[in-house]
Amino acid sequence: MTLDEPRRPDPDALLAEAKKAGRGRLKVFLGMAPGVGKTYEMLAQAARRRAEGRDVVVGVVETHGRKETEALTPGLEILARQPIDYRGRTLMEFDLDAALARRPELLLVDEFAHSNAPGSRHPKRWQDVAELLEAGVSVWTTLNIQHLESLVDVVWKITGVRQRETVPDVILSKADEVEIVDITPAELRQRLAEGKVYVPETAQLASENFFKPENLTALRELALRRAARVVDDELIGAMRRAGVAGPWAAGERILVLVAGDGMADQLVRSGRRLAEMMDAPWTVATVERPARPPPSAAALARINDAMKLAEQLGAPTVVLTADDITGAVADYCGKNNVTQLVIGKSRDSLWREALRRSFAAAMMRRAEGVALHIVTERSAAPAGPSLAAVVAREPHAWRSYLPGLGYVAVATGVALWLDRTFRASDLGMIYLAAVLTAAVLQGLRPALLAAGLAFLVYNYFFLAPRYLFVIGSPTDVLTLFVFLAVALVTGFLAGRVRDQQRATSRRAAAITSLLAASRRLSASAVKQDAATALAEQAAAATGGRAMILLPEGGEIVPVAAAPAMTELGAQDMAAARWAWEHGEPAGAGTGTLPSAGWTFWPLQGIGKRAGVAAIEPQPQADAESERYVLALLDQGAIAIERAELAAEASEADALRRSERLRTALLNSISHDLRTPLAGVLGAATTLLEYGGELERPVQDDLLESIRDEAERLNSYVGNLLDMTRLEGGGVAPRLQSTDPRDVVTAAADRVSRRLGQRQLVRDFPPTLSTVPADSALLEQALVNILENAVAYSADGSRIEAAVYEDQRNVVISIEDEGKGIPTHQLQQVFERFQRLSESSDRGQGTGLGLAIAKGFVDAMGGRIAAASPIHHGRGTRILISLPKEKPTPHWLL
Amino acid sequence: MSAYRPRILVIDDEPQMHRFLGPALTAAGFEPVRADDGAAGLRAIAAGAPDAVVLDLGLPDMDGKDLLKAARAFYVGPVIVLSAREREAEKIATLDLGADDYVQKPFGVGEFLARLRVALRHKLERVGAEATVVAGDLEIDLVRRLVTRAGEPLRLSPKEYELLARLAEGDGRVLTHRQLLTAIWGPAHADDLPYLRVLVGQLRQRIETEPASPKHILTEPGVGYRFMR
Repeated sequence: MTLDEPRRPDPDALLAEAKKAGRGRLKVFLGMAPGVGKTYEMLAQAARRRAEGRDVVVGVVETHGRKETEALTPGLEILARQPIDYRGRTLMEFDLDAALARRPELLLVDEFAHSNAPGSRHPKRWQDVAELLEAGVSVWTTLNIQHLESLVDVVWKITGVRQRETVPDVILSKADEVEIVDITPAELRQRLAEGKVYVPETAQLASENFFKPENLTALRELALRRAARVVDDELIGAMRRAGVAGPWAAGERILVLVAGDGMADQLVRSGRRLAEMMDAPWTVATVERPARPPPSAAALARINDAMKLAEQLGAPTVVLTADDITGAVADYCGKNNVTQLVIGKSRDSLWREALRRSFAAAMMRRAEGVALHIVTERSAAPAGPSLAAVVAREPHAWRSYLPGLGYVAVATGVALWLDRTFRASDLGMIYLAAVLTAAVLQGLRPALLAAGLAFLVYNYFFLAPRYLFVIGSPTDVLTLFVFLAVALVTGFLAGRVRDQQRATSRRAAAITSLLAASRRLSASAVKQDAATALAEQAAAATGGRAMILLPEGGEIVPVAAAPAMTELGAQDMAAARWAWEHGEPAGAGTGTLPSAGWTFWPLQGIGKRAGVAAIEPQPQADAESERYVLALLDQGAIAIERAELAAEASEADALRRSERLRTALLNSISHDLRTPLAGVLGAATTLLEYGGELERPVQDDLLESIRDEAERLNSYVGNLLDMTRLEGGGVAPRLQSTDPRDVVTAAADRVSRRLGQRQLVRDFPPTLSTVPADSALLEQALVNILENAVAYSADGSRIEAAVYEDQRNVVISIEDEGKGIPTHQLQQVFERFQRLSESSDRGQGTGLGLAIAKGFVDAMGGRIAAASPIHHGRGTRILISLPKEKPTPHWLL
Repeated sequence: MSAYRPRILVIDDEPQMHRFLGPALTAAGFEPVRADDGAAGLRAIAAGAPDAVVLDLGLPDMDGKDLLKAARAFYVGPVIVLSAREREAEKIATLDLGADDYVQKPFGVGEFLARLRVALRHKLERVGAEATVVAGDLEIDLVRRLVTRAGEPLRLSPKEYELLARLAEGDGRVLTHRQLLTAIWGPAHADDLPYLRVLVGQLRQRIETEPASPKHILTEPGVGYRFMR
């Protein structure tokens, strides 16, 4: 690296700036407490903007009846609020959709930390604001410092009030501008006393509690410090963007280690404060220990909450997996250059502390060069689950103790039977066997109970003095300890084996069912099938209902559900739409529209979003089953996407086919219309120019050729019209009792003039059943077939038209002695514009004749088929078979 | 009267074409010879040495291009191509290969016979080609490379003269873009159609009385140009 390398702007900083482009800008009016005049200041500035001709709209403003504030609202456009029914009351809430539809340049949204009424799209107003910013609307909002997530603990300590309504720090740090609205505490108390903040009674109460001078001073300091930090951030950001080198990296890196105890939240907040103080990046980690039994549901929930909190506060989270906690943490610290480690020390009971080696001490030994922050538990923290709670969670646990008692009873029976043959000390082995069995099969606690009972019974029946509960010798004590030790060790080991086995089999089951699901999904070639399969698999996996919604014409609609249902409530549909549009989960259990009855997961395919899956939340669902469902949904999304692609491909194929058809039609029109026209025009002009010089027969021939060609044109146009009628479904055959012989004769007459030297032979039986047919359609079909036979056979050859009948059908057969049709083209002769020898447009017919014949025969309920070659490698036979009329019963004749 | 009747070979597989071309040719003083497919046509050219050939593109047994290529090996007489509009590419290819003109189907007999006569005259006169082509008040002296209009000499650039000379030599015959480009700029520029368009535009400015509706240099859309007197 050269010394005078030009300073380059930090790419990350530029990227962050670019990301902001297109987003709205967020300005926060930050105050230390209610009543400092945030809303007033915001409205005053907004009024100035309005006066400058900017598009400023009030989304929601709470004036709390303050007169000076209210005086500022006229002149500003105010969005109507949205009524939301909640438990019989109607709450007037900020209307996010109206704001998004109105899209002002600048929107005022008061009270950043407000919690929306249940049933709103987002639980928190800051989430509404985030969506507005995303949509490109700039927002001004107000916030009191006590509502900041990371300061909740501090504010609680200062004021004794725990804030429920909080805003994640990361949201504030993303604000483009923070303006502090500051007055001195004395001034604020003065305003409170004057009734400018609250009505008098409330004001009195407030000034004695929250608005105490010392509280206000502390809160003010917090607010000022926070504002100063934002200024600092802006400065640093500006310097980084400009590429100014500077000593900001103190090199500090903080790792917060949380566990499932009651301290997790507290540790995260402490870490955040430390990170702020040091201006250092921080990470929150937890350690999973695969060899240990999994933590309780409550502990898992606490860890999850702490991780969520950490992410809200802007910290990345990691999960380390290792049995050796200290080793894993020390390793992580070393690799990631962590300099500060925050751990907790809960107030364990004394004996547990004595038994367990202190984690802090172990950590101190392992982590070199890392400053260790040990946070002690606050006494007010909620206690861990009580024993009663544990027992309550296992309602049928007592059943598992019964077999233990049974084993002891059996052992007693066996021992009594063997009593005479063996010494009492040997009989102890039988009881030991019972304890072992209980430990292996029932687990630790039943084994301990069995051990105690076994000792008592053994003592009573077999140890001297017999039939008394007296411990006669130290050996008896040893026996008791052996029983207990066996129960403990075996029970513990067996328990672990069982846990692992259960976990393994659960995982195996999950994999098996995922495989089965994937097989079913990949077997679904059609989108609907894939959706149905996915709904069924998801329902089976969760044990609840599942529904798949796919886009259709811009809307997302339910297409499959298991068990079957078709409707979702309006609220659910709103959540589904949101999940579809934003590609993020919505509905129950998420941050968006949590009051919906379902959880909506976007189905993210490889290329694009395939749809949305609705899963009914199940109370007993754990993280593992959720992971499984998500894996299933991933597969489903891909299956649906693939089905969609397949459909598109076949659509493209159909389009190509219709494109080919159109080309064939154009060629046909160009050739079949123009060729006769060329003949007509040529003959006509010849007659016009040289009529006088031509001899009589030549003149007649030219005139005849004009007539012939005109007829050809007419028949071609007729064919086109017939085809159009067939396409449009306009052929409605009038079926009448018809003698096929008559129709064949009529058709033969029509083509007789075109036969040339060809010989048309008829082979009719003397008697023939009639068929229900439309004689006009049948005649046209036969004419087309005969013309085809003429066109494809040489002068002087034979064309045979035969009629015969079998049990059910009358068959008309037309044979020629032409070249025949190659076997591979036999299938296609009835397709439109299909001519033999595709390369040339010189085919004799129009390419429509046989297609029309087939259309007409089909319309009459008959069948048509082609066979070729028929003899000596030549000739084509077309067969029309029509179902016979039901014979008139003889008694009617 | 036993005047010489030029023999015209008509190669077409559509019987209705022969039905009127035969009487029309006879009436116009020619002797028609009929061939119903490409193979028969080729045989007739080789054996009969007709004075001109009328060739329909789209024969069932043979590509028109192949037939012309084969025929040109031993036959130098005029060839007129009959074509439908969708056979544009094949038509141009046959012109490039040395067909003299084309007529688009359907056509009136008058137009067809006029084209045939031009082609025949051109062939007949080729031996002692005219030294001077006169078209209205325009005179092109191909020997002295001099162009005058109403006696006034016109100043043409070498390329303009070259183009005019090629077209005038063709005398009513269509010359394809490719033929003109190759003759004037060389084979490397056989596809540089814009050159030709610009040059034709310039030439029309010089020699046409009304360049917007030219009388002498006529455009055959998509095919080429022809010079009319």
